[in-house]
Amino acid sequence: MSAPAATPIKSVDALKAAPEEYRLAVRKIVRSHAVNELYGARVYDEPAIALAPTPYLKWLTCRIAMEEYGHHVRFRQLGEQMGIPESEMTPEGRKPLSIFEFPLKTWEEFCVVKLLADLAEIIQVEDLMKCSFMPLRNLAKVTMPEEIFHSQFGKDTCTELVKTEDGRKKVQAAIDHYFPMMPAFFGKTDSANNAVYRKYGIKQRTNEDMRADFLKRVRDLVEGHLKLKLPEVAEAA
Amino acid sequence: MSDAARGDADAAWAHVAAFTAEIPRLKWFAAVGTILAPAVIAAVERYVAALGLAPGPIAPVAGWREAAATAQRPDWSRDWWQAESACEQTLQRQGAARFGLQPLLAALTALAEAAAELQTPSASALAAAGVDAPALAKVAAGAAAQACHQRGLALLAGSETGRAFTAKFELFAAGHWPLGIVGGTCFVF
Repeated sequence: MSAPAATPIKSVDALKAAPEEYRLAVRKIVRSHAVNELYGARVYDEPAIALAPTPYLKWLTCRIAMEEYGHHVRFRQLGEQMGIPESEMTPEGRKPLSIFEFPLKTWEEFCVVKLLADLAEIIQVEDLMKCSFMPLRNLAKVTMPEEIFHSQFGKDTCTELVKTEDGRKKVQAAIDHYFPMMPAFFGKTDSANNAVYRKYGIKQRTNEDMRADFLKRVRDLVEGHLKLKLPEVAEAA
Repeated sequence: MSDAARGDADAAWAHVAAFTAEIPRLKWFAAVGTILAPAVIAAVERYVAALGLAPGPIAPVAGWREAAATAQRPDWSRDWWQAESACEQTLQRQGAARFGLQPLLAALTALAEAAAELQTPSASALAAAGVDAPALAKVAAGAAAQACHQRGLALLAGSETGRAFTAKFELFAAGHWPLGIVGGTCFVF
């Protein structure tokens, strides 16, 4: 379900005149992106450089790690302009998403994380591209091409890996491990936070909508494209 | 800290700051595909020797497609990559002992943020060569950023261990892209 159009807030300065509920909601989103982009780069992208099987993929992974870190920098800079303390925009100050609690062990796992988690990120960023807070909308537009590349990287590398029987088994095992954590990425069903986001046009879609969209798109990728099996999971978080 | 040690540390920070400022001004990838000049070959020899690896043939790479294929060959030297990684770890330990880990990481972060812009010259060089390969532009930018990080580590550690990365960075600064040791040959694009 889409939210009604809200009056855009064009700048960080203009945010000061917005209702407190709006300001707090925007702060939560900026903080969450700043924390999770940094933590994701640390626990997945940087360790994956050592796991990559060729110099080409090592340097590409190095670049991806830098881009993910760059997303953190952009969200952190916006947060600083909004007056969010720096300590609240790092994993040391705020708890990151639970998917990051499982250390990366193989290259196949990294490729699957890019396939699944970056698609989930794209769906979140697509929603922010219509955000009523214009600095956040602009940031979403800037980061989107890189998010799309990272997701495509996941698709391309998994496509290559599943060409061998051993690769198929490893990619399937990584999907079995990581996919069950993904629905929670979109937040709770009937979330009070999400209701506030939609009330003000900060976000457009319910958590349930985005989760359902993700499940459809990921099924097309995993079962339609890779010809692998998506494990059954509870769709409601 | 003694005056001499403080002066030494100040000089190291100044070197890193100057190096960080220099990154956007270098002619990245401007000489890829060209003949390897004697100075370039000499830098490759110093790079390989400083990593503790046996000398071997040095070969040019003619174009972007060949460079991508070379970097994806399965017979790349694990010893070469490990030697670089070991060198990085030693330099990081030395740099942390000299300045403390957090200041060291802060300097390297500033350097990485400057190196994040290197996709612009790699993409421009690919476009000038008429090659449409967005992923390869990122690969080249990743390799260049890694070289910046390694050179930064060498400057901060201020030890002989960093000679390999000083020589490697000379190759990038000369507009080339060292592709590493593959099949026993050190390839330079």
